Amino acid sequence: MDKRKIFISPVTRIEGHANITIELDDNGNVSDALFHVNEFRGFEKFCEGRMYTEMPTITPRICGICPTSHTLASVKACEMIQGIQPTYTANLLRRLMHIGQNLSSHALSFFHLSSPDFLLGYDSDPAKRNILGIAEKFPDIAVRGIRLRKFGQELSERITGKKIHIMGIVPGGMAYPLTEENRKALLEWIPEAIETVQLGINIIKKFHEDNPEMVASFANSPTLYLGTVGPGGEHELYDGKLRFMDGDGIILQDQLDPAKYLDFIAERSVNWSYLKYPYYKPYGFDKGFYRVGPLARLNVCSRMKTPLAQEEFEKFKHMSGGKPVHGTFYYHYTRLIEALSDVEDAERILNDPEVTSLHIQHHGRWNYAEGIGSSEAPRGTLFHHYKTDETGKLLKVNLLIATGQNNPSMNRSVLEVAKQYVKGDDIKEGMLNRVESTIRCYDPCLSCSTHALGQMPMVIEVRDRKGELVKRVERN
Amino acid sequence: MNKIPVIIDDKSFEVDPHKTILEVCRELDIEILTMCHLKGLTDIGACRLCLVEVEGINKLLSACTTKVAANMVIKTQTERIKKYQRITTELFFADRNHVCAVCVSNGKCELQNLGYKVELDRIRYPHLFPQCEVDTSHPWYVMDHNRCIMCTRCVRVCNEVEGAHNWDVMNRGHQVRIISDFNTPWGESSTCTSCGKCLHACPTGAIWPKAIVQGQLEKNPGMVNELVERRKMKL
Ligand code: SF4
Ligand code: SF4
Ligand code: FES
Repeated sequence: MDKRKIFISPVTRIEGHANITIELDDNGNVSDALFHVNEFRGFEKFCEGRMYTEMPTITPRICGICPTSHTLASVKACEMIQGIQPTYTANLLRRLMHIGQNLSSHALSFFHLSSPDFLLGYDSDPAKRNILGIAEKFPDIAVRGIRLRKFGQELSERITGKKIHIMGIVPGGMAYPLTEENRKALLEWIPEAIETVQLGINIIKKFHEDNPEMVASFANSPTLYLGTVGPGGEHELYDGKLRFMDGDGIILQDQLDPAKYLDFIAERSVNWSYLKYPYYKPYGFDKGFYRVGPLARLNVCSRMKTPLAQEEFEKFKHMSGGKPVHGTFYYHYTRLIEALSDVEDAERILNDPEVTSLHIQHHGRWNYAEGIGSSEAPRGTLFHHYKTDETGKLLKVNLLIATGQNNPSMNRSVLEVAKQYVKGDDIKEGMLNRVESTIRCYDPCLSCSTHALGQMPMVIEVRDRKGELVKRVERN
Repeated sequence: MNKIPVIIDDKSFEVDPHKTILEVCRELDIEILTMCHLKGLTDIGACRLCLVEVEGINKLLSACTTKVAANMVIKTQTERIKKYQRITTELFFADRNHVCAVCVSNGKCELQNLGYKVELDRIRYPHLFPQCEVDTSHPWYVMDHNRCIMCTRCVRVCNEVEGAHNWDVMNRGHQVRIISDFNTPWGESSTCTSCGKCLHACPTGAIWPKAIVQGQLEKNPGMVNELVERRKMKL
């Protein structure tokens, strides 16, 4: 069958909406589904010509939810350009800030955006299916969710004085030390935070038990996975090497240096999305798409670093007999296991006697023309790649963001939903909600997905083989 | 020296002659907004922020370049003055590319503070978005023309205090630019001594040291006058 081209005219893209095109074959059956990402903001281009040292300040503006991950990837790239390493204490403080961001992001994703579905039900009144509805029916859970997010924000606030859009993480280390007073204040949060995460774990597990069919039916096909691991294969967010795993759990490549990412990841631009399509190079564009993020990280790693998270991790592994878990729905569960590990790890770091040391920054200057840094954003592995001239001016910038890497899988997940719910111009009841919850699983960092109140705004277009519009559904 | 009487904002004062209205007002703690003025350097009246009204003269005068005279009646806080200060500030922002959020000077910028002072909540003029160069050629410092407001403090400090005269001004109107030597990269300058005085004199994030990132910038413009005064003591 000849492949036809679809042109998505600019007017059909609505900023802040999830825009989806569903393609039909001649028999009216779904043949493909595309989730368009519109929020490309030209960062790579307009950074060119600036000093590389400005990147840790510019790039966190890409995203209000994962600014720390961008800053970390960016300072690491700067450190490679300078040929220096951060101090021991700086690494501890960076880890704390990264944990803070991961926790707030996971808390937002689970308690604010997703828990209404689990606790109130997918079919409940959409006007109430939000954090306010939770506050009405389960006030304790709502407050706990909000406080967990606050703890995450405090981790960065008490180190650098700012909740988001952090200053303070600088090439070579940190600009501010942690005071003893702030260290103690942060430690006080630990017991409550652990309880809250465990509460979340109970909620999601109960939902798994009560809705086995629904959970199982969520986009369930195997993909490759990419995540950062420590030297022993342990779960890692801040600094480590990369591991690729295939759908059967075979480790394809291990302990890859993130600075060599171009050896194993290739990118292709597609004409219908502003995001580039990355894929695992050895497998090619058609077979090489992989997923990143909490589910991927827990699939690829061999163990968690902390005891409570390890206990939960073993249960997670048990579900699939040690094989990777493919069900998109399990993103939620893995997000919470990570959150548990975050809190335990924060406690360990806060008790490290070096955490309040004043030796927080190494100083360097331009030495090399190229720098690459990576970190694990809440949504997955992130790469910053800079090339400069001999004065430090940026000649080329490449940013490989997590949502971009998940985009091919998001398409596939949406396709699986579409196959169940769409036939010709007939769109079955519940399709929109189902697409929404599928997208939510990936927690993409797009404005559509961060609407905390009400439903996700969405435009779905069904087009026939010739590209003619068959049906358009819009939800604001 | 005999003092002379003046009236400023309806109050009478006895002040030193030969001083500018700005100097007199600063001594009396009367606030006047400035940008191109930097104590220790020759005033040139370029930015037009320090405008005052003087009775009997229809046009507004720049306080930094106008000397006091006996029985002068000066007003510093009229609506007319405020209107012009607001216009001037808006034009500063509309003229080049100021993105405070990612600027190294954010939080420590004289232009940003001026914006707060005149309660800048929007800019009524179209932004010009000029294509400006970022000169990174100097081993230690960056010159970002996107953030330059053409106050020429760098030009004057380099010429009058350091005696190097690396900086100068090229072109007119929107094309006006600060240049190093004869419009060559700063890093190739044969006159720059890399003393860093221009960096401290610069009120914005236009000149900054390569070694720092946002939040770490420390400028000390007061250093210029201290140097000038210390040199006078030696003579
Ligand atoms: S120079 Fe000042 S006003 Fe201009 S962008 Fe920087 S902080 Fe903002
Ligand atoms: S570089 Fe700075 S000091 Fe020089 S004219 Fe521009 S704003 Fe003024
Ligand atoms: S300070 Fe007087 S004109 Fe600039």
